[in-house]
Amino acid sequence: MAREKVTTLYLGPQHPGITGNMMVRLKVKGDTIVGARTEVGYLHRGFEKLQERRNWLQAFTILCRFCVPEPDPVEEAYALAVELLEGREVPERAKYIRVLVLEMARIASYLLWYGGQSGSAGLYTMGQWSVGDRNYILDLFEDLTGGRVYHMFIWPGGVRRDLPKGFKDKAMKVMDYLEKRLDDYDTLLFENSIFQKRAKGVGIIDKNKAIEWGVVGPPLRGCGIKSDIRIDDPYEIYGELYEKGVFEVHPYEGGDVWARALVRRFEIRQSIKIIRYVLDNIPSGDFYNKIPNPHKWTLPKGDAYSRVEATRGEIGFFVASDGSNKPRRTHMRGAAYVHAITLLENILIGENVADVSFIMNSLGTCPPEIER
Amino acid sequence: MSFFNLRGTLKPLTSLKQFAKKPHTIEFPLEVPETSPRYRGLHYNNLDYCIGCGNCSTICQNAAIDMVPVEGIEPKKGDSGLRPRIDNGRCCWCALCVEVCPTGSLSLTKDYIFVSEDPDEFLWTPGVDNPDGINLISFTSSPETSLNEYQRVPMRELDGSERVKSFAEVVLGYNEDEARKEAQRCISCGLCTEACPDHMHIPEYINAIAQGNDEDAIRIIYDNNPLPEMCGKVCTRRCEEVCAIAKRGEPVAIRWLKRYATERAINADMIKEIVNPEILPPNGYKVGIVGAGPSGLTAGYYLALRGFDVTIYEAHDKPGGMTMYGIPKYRLPLESLMKQVDYMKKVGVKFHFNTKVGKDISFEEIYEKFDAVFVGVGFGKPWTLGIEGEDLEGSSQAVYFLERINSGEIINVGYKVVVIGGGNVAIDAARVSRRLGAEVVMLYRRRVEDMPADWEEIEGAEAEGVEIIPQAIPIKIHGENGKVKAVEYLKAEMVPDPKGGRPRPQPIEGSNTIIECSSVFAAIGQQGDYSFIDESKFKDAIKIERGRFIVNEIQQTTLEKVFAGGDAVNRTADAISAIADGYRAVRGIEKFLMGKGK
Amino acid sequence: MEEKKAQILEKLQKVFPEISETKNDFPYNRVDLRIEKNKIPAILFYLKDEMGYKHLVHITCVDWLEEGKFEVIFIVWSPVDKIKVFVKTFLDRNNPVMDNVDMIWRQANTYERELREMFGIQFEGLVAPKEFILEDWDDMPPMRRDFDTEAYARKRFFARPGREDARDVRQTIAERTGEEIPDFAKKYSR
Repeated sequence: MAREKVTTLYLGPQHPGITGNMMVRLKVKGDTIVGARTEVGYLHRGFEKLQERRNWLQAFTILCRFCVPEPDPVEEAYALAVELLEGREVPERAKYIRVLVLEMARIASYLLWYGGQSGSAGLYTMGQWSVGDRNYILDLFEDLTGGRVYHMFIWPGGVRRDLPKGFKDKAMKVMDYLEKRLDDYDTLLFENSIFQKRAKGVGIIDKNKAIEWGVVGPPLRGCGIKSDIRIDDPYEIYGELYEKGVFEVHPYEGGDVWARALVRRFEIRQSIKIIRYVLDNIPSGDFYNKIPNPHKWTLPKGDAYSRVEATRGEIGFFVASDGSNKPRRTHMRGAAYVHAITLLENILIGENVADVSFIMNSLGTCPPEIER
Repeated sequence: MSFFNLRGTLKPLTSLKQFAKKPHTIEFPLEVPETSPRYRGLHYNNLDYCIGCGNCSTICQNAAIDMVPVEGIEPKKGDSGLRPRIDNGRCCWCALCVEVCPTGSLSLTKDYIFVSEDPDEFLWTPGVDNPDGINLISFTSSPETSLNEYQRVPMRELDGSERVKSFAEVVLGYNEDEARKEAQRCISCGLCTEACPDHMHIPEYINAIAQGNDEDAIRIIYDNNPLPEMCGKVCTRRCEEVCAIAKRGEPVAIRWLKRYATERAINADMIKEIVNPEILPPNGYKVGIVGAGPSGLTAGYYLALRGFDVTIYEAHDKPGGMTMYGIPKYRLPLESLMKQVDYMKKVGVKFHFNTKVGKDISFEEIYEKFDAVFVGVGFGKPWTLGIEGEDLEGSSQAVYFLERINSGEIINVGYKVVVIGGGNVAIDAARVSRRLGAEVVMLYRRRVEDMPADWEEIEGAEAEGVEIIPQAIPIKIHGENGKVKAVEYLKAEMVPDPKGGRPRPQPIEGSNTIIECSSVFAAIGQQGDYSFIDESKFKDAIKIERGRFIVNEIQQTTLEKVFAGGDAVNRTADAISAIADGYRAVRGIEKFLMGKGK
Repeated sequence: MEEKKAQILEKLQKVFPEISETKNDFPYNRVDLRIEKNKIPAILFYLKDEMGYKHLVHITCVDWLEEGKFEVIFIVWSPVDKIKVFVKTFLDRNNPVMDNVDMIWRQANTYERELREMFGIQFEGLVAPKEFILEDWDDMPPMRRDFDTEAYARKRFFARPGREDARDVRQTIAERTGEEIPDFAKKYSR
């Protein structure tokens, strides 16, 4: 009798299985979930309001805090939006460096995901390996941008600094090393029957509903739909790279955690290919189309919206200008805004309590970008 | 899939082979890796290069940077004496402060460890509290990566060959787009206001121009300078010398921006409409002004606004003094000046032209008639060369030559002109002579880089085909039939000054050279002419020292009713100093008369 | 692409003659249109079901304080056309009410909760918990332009002592030279 009783279970905001400061209020019958409600509000810093009170350039330094593990796509989205609004051209070399940074960020973020995804299944070795290897990417970031985690590197008009001397060799070595390590990861994680059993058939997203539910990024590709902002709404040089066959976008059928994991496993290899191509083919020239004195830099009245493919999916930035030197309004759209609330509430039903954080990790929930 | 999958269970165990490998995340013994060459760590500020402009403080989006006085750093022109202090508890190491530092003094270092239990210790002044940071500098800015724009928007000018054909204005002025772009370069630090003798509100009006509010800019400019269009064209611009941007690039074109703004008001009515000054009701005091030069006009304008009854006496038939008669019209067209004087008439300043004090009216009469007198007579009398042949026909003083040209006379200078001197007057005489169709040679005692003239003027003269012979000391003017035929000069070599001053030219014996020419103009400086008070009882009461009036800080001479300003008082000998004197005298006169009570 | 953009507008204008303002000259894949607020659910339904604009990209709001208006913007995307359509509408700032659209896209519910909380826009028929991000908030909706962040921070928090000796560079120089900056010019000082 007692098993039939519906209990409320609060998962978070302080819980190792939750990917940040948020809470999922679960209604459980036994250990089966019958209802879920995401509660946020533990991390609100009012970044968008802060940006309104700063000038267009000062606003850029806040961006990396929208999503800590992967700050560069947010910077890229903001820079793109500002450039669309102003009509500012970006030099070709800057576009290559931006793509380089974005793909490095993608690798770093996927490596962190390896840790999160396997950790939430109890496979801790994987996380220690991948986070250790992520350090090599952070070293590259340190060389390139001067910062390890917060890079503040991609800004309107281009990038802040050119590639340092000897960067190519160093980066190529790291890529070679990582490629070898990815095979080790496969034996440890993807060929592990525990992980397979946990992942297959769990957290299924309905393929037919996926787009209108607002599923984006790896979860959408894990539903067997070939969709990626890099090829659908290409920015920087991605359209060109895709046409040249430098990278591929490969959907996996299933819509479950396993399919999403395979998408990420595939894409981390694609990123390595892109980085190799960019390092080999980067054109010479300017890396920055200088903005005027930031205090007096005004943008024309209007609005713009940019979209960038991050590891969690589509990240967008809306900016509106009233013609002054400060934004009228900035509004970020993060993938987790949809994934962690309406989608998560929906797909958790019928799942096991032990799988909640496992599913959340596979969706890439990121509370800082929900609340901002 | 069965529950027990043998392969999937055993395969992960192959990872055990990793035990045999050297771990790559744990080093033993501990190695501390070097941070990268562009690491963004703690700040370091090179106190010698820093000028305290405070741009780092305004860009900091965390409000982590304060500008504070630092012991041992004295404020001076071009240095506010303040230095940035960072609250490391607020800093996010975005390094925008480095990117906007105009001098490149501020940088980040490889040092990133700072531990303290006392929260107040996180507040420290880079460069003072971490002097060893200079060896660890990593994240720096260069003119290429800096967010400051070090290149000036080029000023459009008439081509050199085109210019010599007429007296048309050479500099064409910025158009709206150029002015906005140039104004955007300004970082609004205000260091320039200290260098400006008149302390004009430079960052404010530049900002108004940058924001597209030209009318506000005009109002701000007229707040303490009634002759801005003249300044916008011919000012000596001490402001640009101390411009923060000039430390690593070209200074903001402050003068051209002022010119741009003031030219938006095309006539006196428009100036009055835009400036729309508050004119106080008459207060019953009368002030007489001797000389309608920049200082006299300034004093007259602001006294009139404050309700004084102002009358200006001018010996010539037009106002402006040296700016009217000394500056050629291709630099300062007649209309520019008249427009501003017409505006002054509209606010109630009265003028008596062709009235030379000492001749047409005595100084005593003025002294008795007015409650206060302002003397702004300038330096009208040129020094002579003191060499043989100076009185030959065709030889004259450049100032007189310019005065006659500016009065509309047509002068035949012949086929070749020799100008002696290296100041602005010399250049003016040379460039005017070019426009009269003559070949021009300039003789200057020192090197070209020593010339006191503006570099823009020197370049302009060269572009127009003026030949400059430096290190040349004239010793004789040769004549034929009472007319100038040639100039003889000695070459000089530069020898260091034993007293430590700038190198002095020393003639080389036997290096005599002769240039044939038709006219010679000497421009080696001017002096005051105070004969108008010589003849009266004021001679002893108004003290004069080394050719200049002695005044106190409110421009009051030793005779309490008499105030003085302009070249006859200050040593800088430029229009903006004269304007500053005039403006100070206004406050002085106001204090002197209103303080007394009537 | 230009052709496609023109077609989209043409088709929409035929069905919705109420479309008041359109903008089509962006150099990239974007079409803007403005429509009165009570037509919003209808046009979004039409875009999603008839024209393939299945993906709701974003819902946002801009506060035009001086004009007394909120501008609510819906951005939708078609994976087939590969074009973004911006559907914009103005709301009266004093009475910001509009229809709920979360039956078209479930995730619109989240956006509407946020706009309700941050701007005070009421979506008729919205079923959602009262609080979203803010907790026990009794001030004006904080994303409105007239909410003064700095004043709020001053009221709520105190500054750590020790930084009172900071000086303004411009002010310091003006004091030293005796320059009197007129009041009307001060807004241009930095």
